[in-house]
Amino acid sequence: MVRKNVNILVAILLSSLLALAGCSSKSTDKASTKNEGTNKPDTFIYGIDGDPGNAVNVISTGDRYGLMEIKTIYSPLYMYNGKDDVKYFLAESMTPSEDFLTYTAKLRKDVKWHDGQPFNADDVVFTYEQMLKEENGGWARSQLLFNNQPVKVEKVDDYTVKFTLPTVSMGAMEALGNIFIMPKHVYEGETNIANSTKNATPVGTGPYKLKEYKAGESVTFVKNDDYFLGAPKIAKVVYRIIMDPNTATMALQKGEINALAIQPSDAGKFKDSNVTIKPYEEGRIGYLAFNLSSKAVQNKEVRQAIAFGLNRDEINTASYVSTDYSKPAYSFLPKKATYFTDKVEKHKFDIKKAKDLLSKTGASNLKLKLAFIANNPIQQKQAAVIQQNLKAAGISVELVGMDATALSKKLQSVQTDFDMYLSGYIMGIDPDTFNSLFVTNGEANYMHYSNTKVDELFNQGRVERDDAKRKTIYEEIQKLIIEDAAFYPLTENKRILAIDSRIKGIDEAGLVPVYTFEDMSKLSY
Amino acid sequence: MLKYIFKRILQAIPLLFIISIICFTLIQLAPYDAVDAMTTPNMTKKTVELIKARYGLDQPAYMQYFYWVKGILSGEWGYSIVTHESITKDLTARIPNTILLVLPAYILALLFSIILGLIAGAKKGKLADKIIDGLSSFGIAIPSFWMAMILVFIFGHRLNIFPILGMHTIGNEESFSDLLSHMVLPCTVLMLSFMPELVRYVRSSTIGQLSEDYVMVQRAYGAHSTSILFRHVLRNVLLPIITIVGMSLPMLVTGAVVTETVFGWPGIGTYFVKAIQGFDYPVVMAIMLLSASLVILGNLVSDILYSIVDPRIKGMGE
Repeated sequence: MVRKNVNILVAILLSSLLALAGCSSKSTDKASTKNEGTNKPDTFIYGIDGDPGNAVNVISTGDRYGLMEIKTIYSPLYMYNGKDDVKYFLAESMTPSEDFLTYTAKLRKDVKWHDGQPFNADDVVFTYEQMLKEENGGWARSQLLFNNQPVKVEKVDDYTVKFTLPTVSMGAMEALGNIFIMPKHVYEGETNIANSTKNATPVGTGPYKLKEYKAGESVTFVKNDDYFLGAPKIAKVVYRIIMDPNTATMALQKGEINALAIQPSDAGKFKDSNVTIKPYEEGRIGYLAFNLSSKAVQNKEVRQAIAFGLNRDEINTASYVSTDYSKPAYSFLPKKATYFTDKVEKHKFDIKKAKDLLSKTGASNLKLKLAFIANNPIQQKQAAVIQQNLKAAGISVELVGMDATALSKKLQSVQTDFDMYLSGYIMGIDPDTFNSLFVTNGEANYMHYSNTKVDELFNQGRVERDDAKRKTIYEEIQKLIIEDAAFYPLTENKRILAIDSRIKGIDEAGLVPVYTFEDMSKLSY
Repeated sequence: MLKYIFKRILQAIPLLFIISIICFTLIQLAPYDAVDAMTTPNMTKKTVELIKARYGLDQPAYMQYFYWVKGILSGEWGYSIVTHESITKDLTARIPNTILLVLPAYILALLFSIILGLIAGAKKGKLADKIIDGLSSFGIAIPSFWMAMILVFIFGHRLNIFPILGMHTIGNEESFSDLLSHMVLPCTVLMLSFMPELVRYVRSSTIGQLSEDYVMVQRAYGAHSTSILFRHVLRNVLLPIITIVGMSLPMLVTGAVVTETVFGWPGIGTYFVKAIQGFDYPVVMAIMLLSASLVILGNLVSDILYSIVDPRIKGMGE
């Protein structure tokens, strides 16, 4: 009896060990054969660190991964990437009238929705109307308002749509683009687009169709053979959700995934491997800004002293490792924006000047609080260097790390919890799209910055039709804002895509902000 | 006996209600509003009002609580405010994945712990005990994400034996062996993180049992020490384990948060972490309520089981 009990235990122990060993050895061969399966060049697996969700729609989906999913399934009329760089999708052309008050879109005639229905002007009008409906909470609604009046969208014939602006706006071409077109025949009569069950089975015109969404795991797409710009070359695209950046990097090295956006500090890991590093411009400006509702920094000379006390190059090298991934920024505009200039005060690192300015203002023993996103590796490093820089200039900086949502919430209100903060933005191409950041009481004016001259110039620039005059206006704005030293641009950084070296056609597919690829159908093995 | 069980169940119901009120109040007290997660700064006031009205957020707090509880009782847990997915659907897709990971890990951990704990307890102070006890201390001290990364690096990357990502290889979702090979690493991590405390528990209770009179009597009769350990001590050690097993019920939902995140396992853990980061209130509330309810339920189950195994318990309840 005693023996028997022991035997049973031993038997259980042994069998469980065997079972473990058994499944591991079995899986060994499986895993290796499977790796070839994964790399079979008919699937492109892109690792992302968020869940785009199943329910996407072109109106209310606004997060990066949701938009990536949208970009794969739907098409816009055109993508505006710069004044002379407009890529047409559903539209063949978009022409402004002489007086810049109406824009006419000519549509493609050969486009079919994924369910086989033909695409026409009704879909376009329907989409813009839904986007303009306030209760839908559309992400692009505000850009379709000009001087608080909505744009009027009318069908001329089946393949022509006319947009009528309430006032002239030189940023209109950009504002009217980049909006994805939804099928009228699917969504007609839907009252709650955000929570509609139809969002789980999107019908688009894009290069890929949604095949399957697996909660927390992956989103799988299959190619749309009827795609109007030619059938995609890769049969299957998978967005694989990986929350942990370390695991993701290892999975890419191993070949379990084919592409991933990586941190600059990880780029070195892919030397001599079958992964290519492709840094690309997103037009993102990373900056340090002052919270002007805080008394300590309301004096312009104090801010200028701080600006001279900061070593921009050191901050950038610490956070972005190399100039391959980040260029110093001097203006509030990215280089790609129209009328960009860097002929502004650069606040070249000059500790003596900083100290002199400080003593002149009489602000001795300055103690400042710097807010940043605590779990953002880039901002952690920026903050640490800024703290050291300013210490040398005689200013003590307290670092206030917080959650991204918490920081953005705090920025939206008037508060004095911190004096400076680190942040960044990706805006448009036309300088007018940046106005909400800098005009008095602008919706995204988190600095609470106010300069009547700047306000005036932004208003002039918006309606000025003469190119040369507009240029002078926006160059003046760039100078003024930097002179006020409330906004200290740090870097124009790139997004770093690490991608399987076998993948071709990346340049044809086009690397663009937010979506990564402008047209995935051009990728191939 | 039935009376005791009935009484315990009745006690659990008001507790569940209190838990639901606490969950709701905590979220209401949180400094950020659910509305903030849904709106963007460039929306007008009127749009924000409309969105609030749609989700019932313009109603007073007690009404919101009422709607929330009503929804939960009817199985409608609401929608995520970030992805607009139905939470019920999300949970039903993810909970089985987590159970699949936690259950085998826990059973294995339990099994190994009993054996190791018994050995350590019986050999108290000797080398075997020192090794097992030392490793347990080590195991308690090691954070599971670190252990996970080490295992991923060695077995997933360097030796390339196991896949490191998720549940399936893309395009191989039906294969069971594929699933198993994906399970090995995360299961091992979980097992190793569950074990130390269980080992310690079994060890100390073995030591306690070995000093009991009945052991001395058996020894006096000349019974072999192995026989004493497995025939008599084991039985008495296993009894309190029932409590532990019952109380570990909530682990089926939230026991693998960190491990899931590292391995990209599509379970509740990753979902929960994402919801917290995104201030996805309805999701956070749902998971909080679920795991809190499981704690109560687990206690209830272990109490009832215990009263069945050891009828003296119910006397104490009365």
